[in-house]
Amino acid sequence: MNPLPLAERRLKPSPFLPDLAEIIRKDRLTATETLYRLRLADGSELGHTPGQFLEVSVLGIGEAPFSISSSPTRGEAFELCIRRVGDVTKALERLELGSMVGVRGPLGRGFPLSTMRKQNVLVIAGGLGIVPLRSLITNLIDERDDFDDVTILYGCKNPGEMLFKDEIAQWVTRDDVDFRVTTDIADPGWKGNVGPVTTLFRRLEVHPARTVPVMVGPPVMFKHVVKQVLACGVPEDRIVLSLERRMKCGIGECGHCQINGVYVCQDGPVFTYAELKRLEEAML
Amino acid sequence: MRFLAQDQLEAFLGHLAGQGRVVAPVKGADGVVLFRPWEPGMAVELDVLLAKQAPKDYVFRQSETYLRFGYQMEGVAAAGAEVTAATDRAHAVLKVEPQNDAPAQVIFGLRPCDARGFVQMDNVFGGYGGFYFDPYYNAKREATTLVAVTCRDPRSTCFCTAVGGNPAGTEGADVLMTQVEGGLTAEAFTEKGEELLAFVGFSEAGQAQTLYAETVKEQAVARVDVPFEIEGVRENLRANIEDPGWHDLCMRCISCGTCTYVCPNCYCFNITDEIVEGKGERMRTWDNCFNPLYTLETSGHNPREQKSNRFRNRFSHKFWYYPEKYDSLLCSGCGRCITHCPTRIDIREVLRFMGSPRSAAAPAGEEA
Repeated sequence: MNPLPLAERRLKPSPFLPDLAEIIRKDRLTATETLYRLRLADGSELGHTPGQFLEVSVLGIGEAPFSISSSPTRGEAFELCIRRVGDVTKALERLELGSMVGVRGPLGRGFPLSTMRKQNVLVIAGGLGIVPLRSLITNLIDERDDFDDVTILYGCKNPGEMLFKDEIAQWVTRDDVDFRVTTDIADPGWKGNVGPVTTLFRRLEVHPARTVPVMVGPPVMFKHVVKQVLACGVPEDRIVLSLERRMKCGIGECGHCQINGVYVCQDGPVFTYAELKRLEEAML
Repeated sequence: MRFLAQDQLEAFLGHLAGQGRVVAPVKGADGVVLFRPWEPGMAVELDVLLAKQAPKDYVFRQSETYLRFGYQMEGVAAAGAEVTAATDRAHAVLKVEPQNDAPAQVIFGLRPCDARGFVQMDNVFGGYGGFYFDPYYNAKREATTLVAVTCRDPRSTCFCTAVGGNPAGTEGADVLMTQVEGGLTAEAFTEKGEELLAFVGFSEAGQAQTLYAETVKEQAVARVDVPFEIEGVRENLRANIEDPGWHDLCMRCISCGTCTYVCPNCYCFNITDEIVEGKGERMRTWDNCFNPLYTLETSGHNPREQKSNRFRNRFSHKFWYYPEKYDSLLCSGCGRCITHCPTRIDIREVLRFMGSPRSAAAPAGEEA
């Protein structure tokens, strides 16, 4: 749990002072999710790692944490996939192209890409967990030769909630990516697997010593999927999870995301299961 | 050791007020003693041991605007039309201006526990965990000189010595003054403190005054209760984390957060925006970890939904999590949380009970 040295972070005169970013594209993905494409107003690159997040503000409404959904391999603009649910997200949705929002970050510790190189990567996404994982998946695909087998398991509540359908269509056609999807509830057009994401493990071979499982999803998913990968023999310190918490300041002060002595916003949001196992309340 | 005659106190404060703001405990018309900006003519209240609130607010503001911003209102129909800035069409941000107001100030008459409270809080805002240096807290902290006054007459709720403090403690204090016959003795521990004692009203303390002050200090230490043994508290809190005793202890807590607001070193805060007619500000405001909304995420997930978990968090944070991260307790033993809790929850009772091996402790209901 070593936070990055100060110099490696984008330390502003005030870490509370947002940079401005322009909304350059908006794509409605589902009834409630929109994909925003943004660019920093000063033209600089965000410089993030998959798994990191931003504090995004609609100035006057508020600020909230969102994981970055695009890969750093894809140039200077970046993407956020946001569900319309609270004040900030509702205000965001009403902003037009060209509007400016405030962003602070990238914040926190992202996915351990160096641990994954030359290893099999098993990505497990539940619901909105696909949002930060899309950043990782895109990065894996763009640097495909650096990784061994790439397997993606994606579970959603119903087919209508599935995100990034166009990209998924591309992942499915690739020979070098094993993509499997399941839904809790099928609709009449659904021909795929039905059941929780753990049911996708049935026909899956996991090499415990060579696989890094990376999972993002609701707490209940963690509980079952961790059990599943442990049963496959994957060591605890190779199981990677990203936690959701109410990260308000994002810089390890305000206390909202704190679990015991750990600040999810800075020590995480990405942790290994070995780190979380000893933290009471982490998996609640 | 220096000496200031009682009749020189007003002149001393006046001298300090000529150089910056002076904050001191003053009794209001309602009888409540609070740290207030001092002006000539105001009586400083040193006989009431503790101001109702710690002077935390003067360094870590209860509510602090740290950003002002303005929207250009292009596209909005008419002046005076209802504007909800960010949600209106065709706006553009004009500018975002950081705010950081840190006047030079002397906090006079705080107690050693209050001064130590700042030192304990410094860890988190100073970025000692490897995180960020907080520009707002630190600007005010650096512009502040702390003149502590020895607790001649500790209260029954004081427990500073149990947590490593002292009623004549000097940790964090630039100057420590002690009330003696006819005035106050004064000792400086920092350069800032030395500068203050250069005031002409000070004289060298006589042998009798020095002896008196030392006696006052010694007697004060002896009068502070040691209600629990700090040794082993961290380990026992860890061992007792799942103990059902937490449920019993938290039963009467109404999650009001008074304990966190009167505390000299509770530092949690929230961030909110306000906007009126296109001019807005972003502020941070003290928060309260007992509030069920404190950890509630937009998704509806709440990792500390249970009151007992929130209750446990505050005590564990002060005596286990924070010490583990920063090698410092987050409690200086002032006892304000005990005197101000509307349901008489007593941190000493909680620590005696949950900070000991559970088999050896009495049931919660039989304590206090």
